[in-house]
Amino acid sequence: MKTPLTALALAVTATAAFAEYPDKPVEVIVGYSAGGGTDVMARTVAQFLEQELGDGASVVVKNIPGAGGQIGFTEVSEAAPDGYTLGTFNLPAALALTKDRAADYDVDSFTYLANFVEDPNTITVAATSQFQTLGELLDAAEADPGAITLGLSSLGGNDHFAANMMQDASGAEFTLVPFKGASNARTAIMGGHVAAGTMTLGQTSNFPDELRVLAVLADERSPFRPDVPTAKELGYDVQMSSLRGIVAPAGLDEATTDQLRAALSAVNENPGFQEMMAEQGNPIAFMLGDDFAETVSEQDGIASRIWAETPWK
Amino acid sequence: MYSDLLHALPDVFAWTNFAAVVIGVIAGIVVGAMPGLSATMAISVLVPFTFGLEPLVALGLMAGIYNGAMYGGAIPAVLLRIPGTPAAVATTFDGYPMAQKGEGGFALQVAVVSSSIGGIASAFALMLLAPPLSKVTLLFGPSEVFWVAVFGLASIIFLLGGNPIKGLISACFGVFVSVIGSDPIYGNDRFTFGQLELLDGINIVILLVGLYALPPVIDLLETPLKTDGVNSSKLGTEPIWKALPRMNYWKTWLRGSFLGIWIGILPGAGGSMAAFMSYNEARRTSKHPETWGEGEPEGVAAAEVANNADTASALIPALTLGIPGTAVAAVMLGGLLVHGLQPGPMLFRDNPDIVFGFMWQFLFGAILLVLLGGSLATNSFARLLNLPRPLLGSVIIVLMLIGVYSINGRMFDVYLMLGFGAIGWVMDRLKFPLPPVVLGLILGGFAEENLRLALRIGRGDPMVLFQNTTSLILVALTVAVVVGPTLKKRFIDSRKKA
Repeated sequence: MKTPLTALALAVTATAAFAEYPDKPVEVIVGYSAGGGTDVMARTVAQFLEQELGDGASVVVKNIPGAGGQIGFTEVSEAAPDGYTLGTFNLPAALALTKDRAADYDVDSFTYLANFVEDPNTITVAATSQFQTLGELLDAAEADPGAITLGLSSLGGNDHFAANMMQDASGAEFTLVPFKGASNARTAIMGGHVAAGTMTLGQTSNFPDELRVLAVLADERSPFRPDVPTAKELGYDVQMSSLRGIVAPAGLDEATTDQLRAALSAVNENPGFQEMMAEQGNPIAFMLGDDFAETVSEQDGIASRIWAETPWK
Repeated sequence: MYSDLLHALPDVFAWTNFAAVVIGVIAGIVVGAMPGLSATMAISVLVPFTFGLEPLVALGLMAGIYNGAMYGGAIPAVLLRIPGTPAAVATTFDGYPMAQKGEGGFALQVAVVSSSIGGIASAFALMLLAPPLSKVTLLFGPSEVFWVAVFGLASIIFLLGGNPIKGLISACFGVFVSVIGSDPIYGNDRFTFGQLELLDGINIVILLVGLYALPPVIDLLETPLKTDGVNSSKLGTEPIWKALPRMNYWKTWLRGSFLGIWIGILPGAGGSMAAFMSYNEARRTSKHPETWGEGEPEGVAAAEVANNADTASALIPALTLGIPGTAVAAVMLGGLLVHGLQPGPMLFRDNPDIVFGFMWQFLFGAILLVLLGGSLATNSFARLLNLPRPLLGSVIIVLMLIGVYSINGRMFDVYLMLGFGAIGWVMDRLKFPLPPVVLGLILGGFAEENLRLALRIGRGDPMVLFQNTTSLILVALTVAVVVGPTLKKRFIDSRKKA
């Protein structure tokens, strides 16, 4: 009796192992509440990923908000690397928070599948501001160190790093004012409560008449705002952006990794996907596998350096 | 822009879009009426599902739920002294005493009519005045918002009533709870004991459910055989058109609507503060303030008109600036984002039919409230009180657990809620007032964050708090609110002597 049963059990396990991935729903963990920018991206990717994985595959988004995304990132890093748990990954936030507090994961805890969104930071003032160019703003901040207030969404994020790198590159000194979220910072700029601010280009895009974007902190001008110069053109070699991609836990086997990367590439090439992302105001910067991992380690280096030089808490 | 408003109207009457509002209002009333389930929760549960819906169906559901829930919260507040939503705390003050006197039916009718009026006023503000009112929001930077919080605390401190020392202790407890979590500027952990779950601070709903719902449930279960003094046969229900002439609260309605709209456009404070201030002002100007707190229908009207008057107006800063006026508006922004609708002036230019359609849905949601809310509440929910007490108590406990669990999907919050429940029960026994705890939590965090931002902007110089007209006006109002009653009393006393 015993032997046939064992054999049967073995046979079942074997078929399961050889069954085509995915044979059950794939979960995408989002470390923020439903309806945020990252959540919307995850749901859009999930919808197209289902098609690309084919065969009635099901991709489910699960929100595990809390501690600035940390609870969700931790959940992904600790999940079984079987391809059934993926997660969204926000840079530099996900790694910055491993510097300033105890975290149960680090840069090596993930298999980097693909990055979808890259939204470059900007230096922005109100449309009514006296500062017409980045140079004028930086001169004022250099002439009277600390007199220029700079609004940002929080300490330890891309806004903060952008401000820090801008100060290092120019010798200017700002008073950094970390609001709760980019919209509050933006409102304070528009209301004249802070002199300037740094936020991503996407966060400025719906306020063309209210805000003046002085520079974008990227290698090249953005196709969305070709009229705005890069800081690099103006003589300050500073790049900072907010990135959003898809990761899996570290140790995902090669076959599944390749299959997922191929599927995510196909998602990116789908015109329907491109159209939806554009509608949501998400600038796509697709990076696959190693390219993504390389950007991640660069960002990790920046966060470590800034934390070492000017710890923010 | 007014032509855009009219242009958006036909779409609103497409049957699916209209049905969404109707379903939303009913669902909102049900959710609001259940202790533990709030509008914020209902809408956040809904957001992922709206991904596949037409925008106006999704938004109609949300507008309906928001309006419905702000009224629904009054039902258990009146019948059981358990506010169904944070904004319904002030409704318990006079609603519950009315129910005990056998006027629960009338209290619910006052609540539904007042809610509806507040909602309609707010919807009109949103439709007609959104752009100018968003300019008002821009005037409020950190130092101004700090003074709003101080003004709120100062004007509400008179609610402490009876024993001011106990009231202050309660308020301090609330402020203490607001301190838990990472600090608003540097992100240092405060009283989190290494718990990641505490880093984001304590959700108001967890505190409210524990503090307010658990003690009455324990009371229910302590005396399982006692039949209730209140039951639906004694509710004193009469048709709403007969009850209407008894409601002559125009001044309160007007004042409450104005306060609700005003507080709605300021980021962060939200429905509870509007309801408290409206209640307080209405009592202060009443000819017979001594009846307040003992079943004064006008008290219910004041609270309910204001907590609905900030619904649509909270969307003004949300839609124009991306900064939501209430927690519910914050979740709704997520629902908009799902449909690619990004807040900002461009939203009104790029998607006028959807944005203005959404505004109409708010208006119709508020109007539908009277039609749906009146009969639903008195005919079905009020009958809950006929349930055997052990059954009613257990149902409420189950709802509390589900509601709190589903905020973040974790048991930690449930334990936290039970802990607050134990504290609430002790406070209740020792006659410590509970409203100051809720206000302390809401306004304490709000005041701290903005004070620290303001001081950072002023590079540590406190004079930054007094540097512009808006701040100075708020300071003057605060002083008037604190000193006013004493001066008035002295003046009256001296006239008596003379």
